Amino acid sequence: MGAIYLLTLRQLTGRWRLLILTVLAALPVIITALVVRSPEAPSVSDFESFVFSTLLAGSISPLVVLAIAAAAFANEIEDRTLANLTLSPLPRSRIVVPKLLAAITIAGPPVAISALLTGHLAFLGDVRATLAVTASALVGVALYSAAFTWLGLVSSQAIGIGLLYIVLWEGFFSGFVDGVRLLSIRHYSIALMHGLDPRRFAGGHHLGFGVTIALSAIVFCGFVWLSVRRLRRMDVP
Amino acid sequence: MSRSTAPPMSGVTRSAASDPRTTSASGLAPVIRVDGVSRWFGSVVAVSDVTFDVSPGITGLLGPNGAGKTTLLRMITGLAAVSSGTITVFGEPVRDNPPLYRRIGVMSEHEAVYGFLTGRDFVRMMGRLRGVEDLDAAVDRAIDFVDLADAQHRPMKTYSRGMRQRMRLAATLVHDPELLILDEPLNGADPRQRVHFQSLLRKLAAEGRTIVISSHILEEVELLADTVLLIVNGKLAASGGFRAIRAALDERPYHVRVVCDAPRELASAVVMLDSVDAVNIDPDGAIVVLSRNVRDLQIELPRLAQAAAIRLRRVEPLDDSLESVFGYLVER
Repeated sequence: MGAIYLLTLRQLTGRWRLLILTVLAALPVIITALVVRSPEAPSVSDFESFVFSTLLAGSISPLVVLAIAAAAFANEIEDRTLANLTLSPLPRSRIVVPKLLAAITIAGPPVAISALLTGHLAFLGDVRATLAVTASALVGVALYSAAFTWLGLVSSQAIGIGLLYIVLWEGFFSGFVDGVRLLSIRHYSIALMHGLDPRRFAGGHHLGFGVTIALSAIVFCGFVWLSVRRLRRMDVP
Repeated sequence: MSRSTAPPMSGVTRSAASDPRTTSASGLAPVIRVDGVSRWFGSVVAVSDVTFDVSPGITGLLGPNGAGKTTLLRMITGLAAVSSGTITVFGEPVRDNPPLYRRIGVMSEHEAVYGFLTGRDFVRMMGRLRGVEDLDAAVDRAIDFVDLADAQHRPMKTYSRGMRQRMRLAATLVHDPELLILDEPLNGADPRQRVHFQSLLRKLAAEGRTIVISSHILEEVELLADTVLLIVNGKLAASGGFRAIRAALDERPYHVRVVCDAPRELASAVVMLDSVDAVNIDPDGAIVVLSRNVRDLQIELPRLAQAAAIRLRRVEPLDDSLESVFGYLVER
């Protein structure tokens, strides 16, 4: 597993990709810094809705993860090196899991640092609220990574489909259709944030903490299972 | 090979009448058994009802580009699914059977490597993935075998095509597989590299391994393979010893175009030769000779021209492409 993990880390850490991730991850921090300095500071609820829910959990986090996780398999399929891995006597799960972990390893820090700094600036050093924002962002990274790693395995248009998913599903439908939040990673992140610091993030109509934990686990394991299944059944170029 | 569903061809092994469950000629179970395998992509049939066995030694999978060789090899290695039929390797289904890859080494047609890795790191990683014990010794052995010890610490993106192929062979061999499947391994290699590669493969076969090598170059397979599987248009056109297939090819009629300064005189003389079946004169004045014995014609034609004081300007085969050779075999 270690060999595939290290190989994937090297494959996914191109200079341009890291630069784009850094710029994207810096956006919420910059916006928060500007907002908190303005004379009319928004309420926690407004701030949560715009910066945490829409920007961080609904846009920046999935975009950063899409750029990394979709490439974990898609690059190897495109340059036809995937056969080097699939022609080894490893159970397919031992190919999928290290690739997924590598994607989380690369996408996690920029999103986590972004969430940490954003939370710190927004809540003036409130440790619990900052940690709640950071932890929920990291869970979002893990869930998006599992979804986009699978997407990179099933489609050669993973980036395009991923963008549509982020804009339409996470951005549009999950904001208007109540039932969609049951299958929205953005809403899992926000619900976790509420669950981890109910004092700061009070109110609003969110999934329960326990339900969110259970749904997150199901979604994560589900996409890992789908990826393993896909790798077992696909024609490897 | 003990069986195939190739169409009847005199002098070349055909196995349509053989029992698909028989063992190989040596009495041992075949290493690879392909039984009624087809593969189609939408309405395109890439491989059609192919049946054969492969036993230890070098087996050449020969066919023109686009014949279905790579699709067939990808199914044999488990990289692609069959649409119908069965494939077993060492008696086990190969698809979705990762443990079997401990015994198989595959070098695909594509030269895809991780360019940022050094040759040694690449071979080492392949060894790790295949669970090789005493990894460093195995890596040293594999790299020494392909004679690339001097270049092993360079990134693979700096390698020439031939070097890359040899390092890929080292990675294919690092876990000491019993079965080697090599898809067009000599593609892009220069003549010196070809000779080196061929000697490596012979050495491996002499160690008792089963090697399947695909190629679209007749002479390449002739130099290497003990037995040949001829694939044309997704079907097994012929199978057997190379000599039998070569003999069948030698009986094939060839058209030879001759340009000279006295075509009518030469035509009337050439038509009398035993090696010539027919002679035509083109509108542009060239002679087209139909011969079933080109070797004799090659000797007799210059002698005849010299005796008649006719100057030969050009002698060229009209249908010496591999496709026409395969086409002839299929039509027989």
